[in-house]
Amino acid sequence: MTSAVQSSSPTLRDRTSDLLARSGLLIALLLLFLALALFAPNFLTSRNLLNVLRAVAFNGIIACGMTFMIIAGDIDVSVGSAVAWASALLGVLAIQHGWPLGLAVIFVLVQGALIHAGAGYIRVRWAVPAFVVTLALFMALRGAARLITNAFPITPFPDSFNFWGGGYIFGIIPVPVVIMLAVFVLFHFISVRTVYGRSVYAVGGNEESARLSGISVWRTRITTFALLGFLSAFSGIILSSRIMSGSSNIAVGLEFDVIAAVIIGGTSLAGGEGTIFGTFLGVLFIGLLSNGMVLMGINPFAQEVIRGLIILVAVLISVARTRK
Amino acid sequence: MTVVLQASHLMKQYPGVKALDDVDFSLNSGEVRALLGKNGAGKSTLVKILSGAVTPDQGSIAVDGREVTIKSPQDSFAQGISTVYQEMSLVPGLTVAENILLGRWPLSKRFGVSFIARKEIVQQAAEALSQLEVDIDLNQLASRLNVAQQQLVEIAKAISFDPRVMILDEPSSALPSEEVDTLHRVVRRLAEQGRAIIYVTHRLQEIPKVADSVTVLRDGRTIGTIPVQEATPERITQMMIGSDWKRTEWQRDAELGPVRLSVRNLNSKGLLRDVSLELRGGEVLGLAGLLGSGRTELLRAIFGLDPIDSGEILVDGTPQLKPNPISMKATGIGLTPEDRKKQGLVLVFPVEDNLTLASLHRVSSMGVLNPGKEKVLAETMVDNLAIKTARLDVKTRTLSGGNQQKVVIGNWLNTLPQVLMMDEPTRGIDIQAKEQIFALVRDLARQGLAVLFVSSEIEEVLDVADRILVMNQGRITHSRQHDEVDLEQLMALVMEEYTE
Ligand SMILES: Nc1ncnc2c1ncn2[C@@H]1O[C@H](COP(=O)(O)OP(=O)(O)OP(=O)(O)O)[C@@H](O)[C@H]1O
Ligand SMILES: [Mg+2]
Repeated sequence: MTSAVQSSSPTLRDRTSDLLARSGLLIALLLLFLALALFAPNFLTSRNLLNVLRAVAFNGIIACGMTFMIIAGDIDVSVGSAVAWASALLGVLAIQHGWPLGLAVIFVLVQGALIHAGAGYIRVRWAVPAFVVTLALFMALRGAARLITNAFPITPFPDSFNFWGGGYIFGIIPVPVVIMLAVFVLFHFISVRTVYGRSVYAVGGNEESARLSGISVWRTRITTFALLGFLSAFSGIILSSRIMSGSSNIAVGLEFDVIAAVIIGGTSLAGGEGTIFGTFLGVLFIGLLSNGMVLMGINPFAQEVIRGLIILVAVLISVARTRK
Repeated sequence: MTVVLQASHLMKQYPGVKALDDVDFSLNSGEVRALLGKNGAGKSTLVKILSGAVTPDQGSIAVDGREVTIKSPQDSFAQGISTVYQEMSLVPGLTVAENILLGRWPLSKRFGVSFIARKEIVQQAAEALSQLEVDIDLNQLASRLNVAQQQLVEIAKAISFDPRVMILDEPSSALPSEEVDTLHRVVRRLAEQGRAIIYVTHRLQEIPKVADSVTVLRDGRTIGTIPVQEATPERITQMMIGSDWKRTEWQRDAELGPVRLSVRNLNSKGLLRDVSLELRGGEVLGLAGLLGSGRTELLRAIFGLDPIDSGEILVDGTPQLKPNPISMKATGIGLTPEDRKKQGLVLVFPVEDNLTLASLHRVSSMGVLNPGKEKVLAETMVDNLAIKTARLDVKTRTLSGGNQQKVVIGNWLNTLPQVLMMDEPTRGIDIQAKEQIFALVRDLARQGLAVLFVSSEIEEVLDVADRILVMNQGRITHSRQHDEVDLEQLMALVMEEYTE
């Protein structure tokens, strides 16, 4: 019997190998970069570019978890509120109640994972759409954050805490950027090389087939929720370190920037398809766009309109691609 | 007899494969043409081009001698062509009746507003279904139908168009024998009315019953068209495969081992009644029965997919208190489900990932996958089951139907099961690959694998099984060794009227 596989072309296991699909985004990113380099004053300076990276780091960290969520066929609109809740809680515990900072940080991370795991449990136990569960969280967490802080920022954290959000490595690379890159690398690895990562794709691609193949749909979904909750809390802590206060008013609307980045990055809203690398490009794209518009002095309200339109175009491209 | 449909020089290239390579095809009115070929030969591609679902790279199509452009299913309908595709495409959220008349719902006007005329829909749909002499609740949601019922509804839908040319892509692969007989009658009747019919199938024994002539494709080329009188199984297989082909002989020489799976007094919502069975290592046990006799339900109940009301399931003597796919897989039990698209595959996955979907534990350590091991597992199955795919990393949905089916089987064979339950495992698989798969299964049985399989092709059950259980209305009514019955007797047992 002849082998039915022609092994001429390399079979890259790596899902990032889907270059064709992503080259469109890469080209768009390069064009945007070029345009900004030409037209936006002070764009092409290492300080500005590193600032862009630092600005996207907080979203980027969360976008990794959101990518898994959307690949699994779910969506989470509560991450902005989760960030604010984490920040407020950290301030209340570490400053008002005088907990040791390290302990407060660990507590905030753990509760972030647990609250989201709870939402995930509700999602699978009663087959409630993730959108609905996280919409409830979106409202409740923001409210809770304001409740415990009376909507005032809580200060002061010890100066040393500023390192995580505002510090530099080698005196030039912002710490959040390094953290973000580490998270991206880790999540890329999880997505292509772990049983859990493969299960996320399977559950999003066809839940019934995954279940019948003996993959635990519950465990996969709840883990995905918990990871995203953890990352949101993590991002909230770094953001608190950056602004040096526990605040309930930060990260308003962050969820939509994150979701937009994931979708621009080529992750299918239908589930089952998407890559962490694509999300990385999507995060950069949105970051560059925002930065460029600020540098060019575009009216802030007009900026929102432009961003909205560009996201729409990106979604249309993504839909057209999945149709093919 | 006049030529109704003529396709010339059709070409269709996909990345890595020429699905059709300069194919000519012509069809007369009143003719039933069987279209044959191995899995991936290009049958469905030809069908999809004629029905407008796929546009050819080159070639032309003429209807009644006039050249036409068929760029969409609408164009094809407009030429009087209606098609039943190999992959089911009912809208799950609509009722059976709504599906049959999809896009053509009769309206009624009241107060100047158009309403959907529900009564008329049901009436017209009932007419279409009655030709097939089956009993399916028209107000039931399509999502609740099993594969055979879905297939019948699809056929009824195609008939309801009152087509001049009807194309049926493997209509019988999901149907039990008695429904197939009805289908043959319907097809013959339509042909007598002067309609032309293309009938794709892998079941050679139905050709003399239904077809006037046979066209064979191989690797995207037409090998030839012959009248049915000349279409002996030997000749057809020779045309399909290219060389003389000898059936792979297998022996039923497996020694029976200890009891692996036993089911005691299983009851479930009237679908299963007091079912008991024992399955030993090395044994191949076939389940025969009519549509709705409870065969699929039995496999699903054992695998923990549907709740049971009472009864016991034991694996290697250990009772399984709350069976579910995860726990059953851990005890060495597997199930290849009947509906490959909905239950068996993640269609957006590369072929390789679907071949290891159920055996991730075998290709990983501490949760980290080993790509090398994965590749070995996938490649072995591609060879053993002769899966035709350009590469391991192409999306599974681009494979031909039969090759997708092989992936479902490969996925479970890769788990190294002790007991493998297979629900219509050979649906859509060509004769050569079928023999290969059964030889493989027999080989595994010799090494101790126990198999419990369902097939609506009763000849196949008789051919392959060591022992046959007949199911009727949720009960096991007979048990026979394979050499105790012949086909006719087995048919009689299956069809037996059963009353409480
Ligand atoms: N959308 C697609 N993209 C890539 N390749 C495709 C696509 N559709 C079909 N093919 C390839 O074209 C070839 C012919 O497929 P086709 O579905 O026509 O086979 P078939 O004769 O119907 O087989 P089967 O008996 O298994 O149904 C196969 O090799 C298949 O992999
Ligand atoms: Mg086909």
